[in-house]
Amino acid sequence: MTESTGRNDVSRRELLKGAAATGIVAVAAGSAIARATSAHAASTTVKGYGVTTSQLKDWSIMEKSIGLKMEFTGTNADIGVFMRDVISNDLGETHDIFIFDGGTEDILGPQGYYAEVIEDHPELNLWARTSDNWKRTDLLQDDSGKQYGVPVIGNADSFGYFPESIGANPNGLDEIGWHMMLDSDETKGRVSLDRSWLLSSPEVANYLKYHGRADIKDVANMTGEEARIVADFAADRKRAGQFRSLHAAFEEQVQLLSNHEIDLINCWEPATKEANNILGPNTVMYAFTVEGYYKWGHGAYMHTKALERDNVDNIYRMLNYYMTGEYRAYQADQRGYAGPNMDLGIKYAEENGWSQEKIDNLKWTEKKVNKKFEKPFFGKPAAPNAAVMEEEWQRFLNA
Amino acid sequence: MSDKVQKSLIVGLRARYSNLFSRDWVIPTFIVVWVIIVIVPLLIMVAHSFFEMKQYRVVYDASFKTWDSLIDSGRWISAVRTLRIVLVMTAIEFLVAFPFALWLAKVCKSKVTKAVIITLLTIPFFVDPSSRTIIWRAILGRNGIINFVLMETGVNNEPIEWLLFSEFAVHFGILAPYFPTMVFPIFLVITLIDDEYLEASRDLGASKLQTLFRIILPLSLPGIVAGGVFTMVPLMATWVEPEMLGGGFVNLLGPSVDAAMRELKYPTAAALSVFVIALLVIFLAVLILATRRLGSIGDIFHTMKR
Repeated sequence: MTESTGRNDVSRRELLKGAAATGIVAVAAGSAIARATSAHAASTTVKGYGVTTSQLKDWSIMEKSIGLKMEFTGTNADIGVFMRDVISNDLGETHDIFIFDGGTEDILGPQGYYAEVIEDHPELNLWARTSDNWKRTDLLQDDSGKQYGVPVIGNADSFGYFPESIGANPNGLDEIGWHMMLDSDETKGRVSLDRSWLLSSPEVANYLKYHGRADIKDVANMTGEEARIVADFAADRKRAGQFRSLHAAFEEQVQLLSNHEIDLINCWEPATKEANNILGPNTVMYAFTVEGYYKWGHGAYMHTKALERDNVDNIYRMLNYYMTGEYRAYQADQRGYAGPNMDLGIKYAEENGWSQEKIDNLKWTEKKVNKKFEKPFFGKPAAPNAAVMEEEWQRFLNA
Repeated sequence: MSDKVQKSLIVGLRARYSNLFSRDWVIPTFIVVWVIIVIVPLLIMVAHSFFEMKQYRVVYDASFKTWDSLIDSGRWISAVRTLRIVLVMTAIEFLVAFPFALWLAKVCKSKVTKAVIITLLTIPFFVDPSSRTIIWRAILGRNGIINFVLMETGVNNEPIEWLLFSEFAVHFGILAPYFPTMVFPIFLVITLIDDEYLEASRDLGASKLQTLFRIILPLSLPGIVAGGVFTMVPLMATWVEPEMLGGGFVNLLGPSVDAAMRELKYPTAAALSVFVIALLVIFLAVLILATRRLGSIGDIFHTMKR
């Protein structure tokens, strides 16, 4: 019995030794493969995180033209979620660039999450020819003027409407007053307002400010008192039955338009495109307005931790790609969004045999956005007074 | 191993472990575990409600600012509204579910019918809440099926607006998904009621209503309590129906907490949750006091021993 146990012990020990040796070899081999894979990935892959609309619908186009692969993790437009992922979840450990509404750099730049743009980096060869109107804005620089972001896309948000329902010109070129959205018996009960404080609160404020009904210094960064006036007005209109619904998601915007449940809705421009795909061309128009727009621009920001990795050149090549004609042409064609170097987008379309209709649409996108950008105001997702604006907007939601 | 050895082994094991669950350590262990996994997080949540967020970071200076803003912003209204809708819907579910469960347990004799109905009742558990709710928009909307039929048949000249994006729509949307959670526990308890009790009641001259209120209802109380809990608790956090059918006009607790979390306002979300827990505790205290003359709340579960 003892002998037998002894033999078994020896056998177990040998087995353990063997297993340990095998394990070490396996771990070493795995590690080597992982390093090799990682090194390979570093040479061609850039990892991005941000708003889904900044993506090309088909990244293989980019892979062919600049030889990089994009691994993109999408998020929605919730700034809290984005901030949590960058700050608390430390996504900089795994992701190289972050794309979000301009304004986050005011917080994430000085706190060391975003790296300053190296403007003379050899891979950033379109930087110099990019207009200051796109790159030198508050949306990409912090308060001290440090440049953290590269311009990606931008637009001026307003509202979608059915021209025949409100007696407007069917060509969609009329400037429509925001009173049709917010303050009209003609459209009472036929309007959907976005529930988000970020979009609707400053839009209502801009309407009140334009018509001298409220004294507001910065509609995108209101004080508590200013935000309260805005929330009170919106709550009064809500009680008066102005709004048929308060929507929350892009899919809702499309559904409300395509069901014709409402006549006007403050929404993203792509929602009107989707609705027209269902209802027919030009059934829904995206408004030129009298008072102004929620102007926004997405920036691409490089994380400071990415500077320690070995694919910095590739990251800069990717940042440069957002300013190329190819990216511009596809974004304008697929989503109706503009951005820097629109002339390069038109040139790309012409050189690559796009139809004249598409080329004309690109030209129209540039003209349209330039026209809208002449009016106020720029949104500020990370405004210093964001918390108090959100609190006051809750009073409207709970009214 | 012989039968004799086996038997003596079983007897030995029984003797050793018979008192295992009646020993003094069970309740203290339960309390310790419960404190660690429930009470401690709850206390942390209460503590968080006294902090505030600045620039997406928690500022650990205790104050009542978050609680002030809860009142000032009207967020507390969403908590009270939630409690009101939850209580109303739990009552409605009970009023609909109890007769149905009684019929299914005691009147319906066909096993096939029972099996089919029970299977049908499980459907809401398998369908994605958003998918099953979004359908109602196409039915209840201004251009939906109901308004279309009413207008085509000349019953109405104008579409009925309140069918969708209203409290009515939210109540209506909640009714079906939470019906099974009320029916199943009541059905199971009524099934366990011995038919001889009902026959004895009839033999002693009790009317059907007397049998219902004096025999069936008291014996069903464990199922009613379980159904109430299974319906009420998830309803407190419901967000799909108010979001999709309320059109933003029925701002309930779930969406309100979600809105706070999306802005990283952890203290606000914590204060809202604490507020609701306080409301529930007050509600339960009132309920216990009001029903005290009917006996101890523990008496409800005596029926389970029968």
